[in-house]
Amino acid sequence: MTTILEQVKAEDTYQINGKTFISRLLVGTGKYASNELMAQCLEASGTQIVTVALRRVNLENKGEKTLLDYINPKKYTLLPNTAGCYSAEEAIRVAHLARATGISDFVKLEVLYDEKTLLPDPLATLEATKVLVKEGFTVMTYTSDDPVMAQKLEQAGAHAVMPAGSPIGSGQGVLNPNNIRIILEKLKCPVLIDAGVGSASDVAVAMELGVVAVLLNTAIAHAKDPLRMGHAMRQACEAGRLSYLAGRIPKKLYAQASTPSKDF
Amino acid sequence: MKLLVNGENKEFSEGISLDELIRQLGVRKETVVAEVNRQIVQNDQRPGWKLAEGDQVELIQFVGGG
Repeated sequence: MTTILEQVKAEDTYQINGKTFISRLLVGTGKYASNELMAQCLEASGTQIVTVALRRVNLENKGEKTLLDYINPKKYTLLPNTAGCYSAEEAIRVAHLARATGISDFVKLEVLYDEKTLLPDPLATLEATKVLVKEGFTVMTYTSDDPVMAQKLEQAGAHAVMPAGSPIGSGQGVLNPNNIRIILEKLKCPVLIDAGVGSASDVAVAMELGVVAVLLNTAIAHAKDPLRMGHAMRQACEAGRLSYLAGRIPKKLYAQASTPSKDF
Repeated sequence: MKLLVNGENKEFSEGISLDELIRQLGVRKETVVAEVNRQIVQNDQRPGWKLAEGDQVELIQFVGGG
């Protein structure tokens, strides 16, 4: 028998460029102690979209297992990233390579400016978004939490705009919820929080703001117990989403009794 | 002839095809994307793609990332 909770969750889907998803947690595949652990964590998190990167084949390790031995592209939508690219040209080249695999035309576009902060280069990001959209990619663009930039990216045709909650891998959570609120008010395309999440409560906070989904990697991969954290993230994501849909009570300065006044 | 494969100088026989190069290097061809001189070569073009002295070959695959 389907419970009300299961029914609510099953009906609460979202789309990115026409493709429908239920899980609102996108999980990265980097930084795990092993690929086996990574695969278990993806399973625990309930994710349907996983980010991957492209790098040179190690010619010294002939015939070794590759990432795709652990991730079934029929089960997960692969979201190749352009991490490590510092110009629009580089990012476009990586997107082309990713598509040439024949596995996915999704791209998590990130064009960075600075190695220490890993903040995006807004101008190069905008330029690359325009090109890749025109070339038929499904473009999910990583950006800062600047509401103006988010609008520019939507206007450029991005299929999803993904502001960072805080710097990549920093685990500081959503530092400026007001900017995220403004972005959500202004944009019609899916808005995801990408980066900066440190714990399950950070995910819940992000989801309660009303973002479509949260993308994270380090928070699971570098947790003391990544598998437990994978489960925790899944539950926090679902809880945050349900809480957002349910609608929180307004905050008040003074107490309001939950029990009727004593009348005897 | 000399080829630059993933940034390393390597020696191969004259006129080797891209497909054969991938095989000789022991790289699993179904999971690799190839570029020659910054141009992507699609999988079905590899057997007929003859490499020339000094060509720069990049063999790329998916790895973990965030």
